[in-house]
Amino acid sequence: MLSNLFKKKDKEEKVLAPVSGQLMPIDQVPDPVFSGKMMGEGIAVMPDSGSVVSPVDGTVVMVADTGHAIGIRSAQGTEFLIHIGLETVALKGEGFNVLVRQDDKVTAGQPLIEADWTYLGENANSTVTPIVVTNGEGKTVRPVAEGTCTAGETVIMTVTAG
Amino acid sequence: MQKTFKITAPEGLHARPATQLVSAVNSLDADIQLIHGSKSANLKSIMGVMAQAVPHGATVTITAEGVEAEKAIEKVTEVFVSQSLGEETE
Repeated sequence: MLSNLFKKKDKEEKVLAPVSGQLMPIDQVPDPVFSGKMMGEGIAVMPDSGSVVSPVDGTVVMVADTGHAIGIRSAQGTEFLIHIGLETVALKGEGFNVLVRQDDKVTAGQPLIEADWTYLGENANSTVTPIVVTNGEGKTVRPVAEGTCTAGETVIMTVTAG
Repeated sequence: MQKTFKITAPEGLHARPATQLVSAVNSLDADIQLIHGSKSANLKSIMGVMAQAVPHGATVTITAEGVEAEKAIEKVTEVFVSQSLGEETE
């Protein structure tokens, strides 16, 4: 098990779509924190339906009380932040149902948060959902897909060391 | 060295404030911690800062050690003030 962990370090991490919808380059997200990559390299999804799922096997390292953002750390130590919609912190939890807790182990494709996309569409600035690597130093993060994506199935990004 | 702030940002230190703080100090040669209650987080980690879930009205202490500790405290103070995230307190 431990040796597997070490071998994996050199391998490319495949990151699955956290939600189903249409992919959008991160630099087109209408919020400079994301488009300017201040938070890190990534990609975004304009969701159409369904839950937000884990993009990788890993651990929940952060889940906002308000349910609008969640952080997952993979076995390789890569940290992914999924931010559901823009300025959604202001909704104070309305429209989100969190299914996991901090420190929970999760598997790729496992539902993390249920979002009421209709409510969010009416009340949030945007439902666009960026997924970014917040500790990308020394890693190469590469968006690898465009067009339609399916939660937990489409590989949208790869992460490699160096 | 250290400095204490009361959080005035209406939504607390969520994604945007966390990112602004981390961006300001990330390149500095210093160990910088954000202490909230009994928990301490590396101020160079967006996820670490967000996981602290610091709410509006809370008090946090920023500590810095290392060659650029002074600069780190300056930068953090600048972000707190310019972004209306918090005010200095005793």
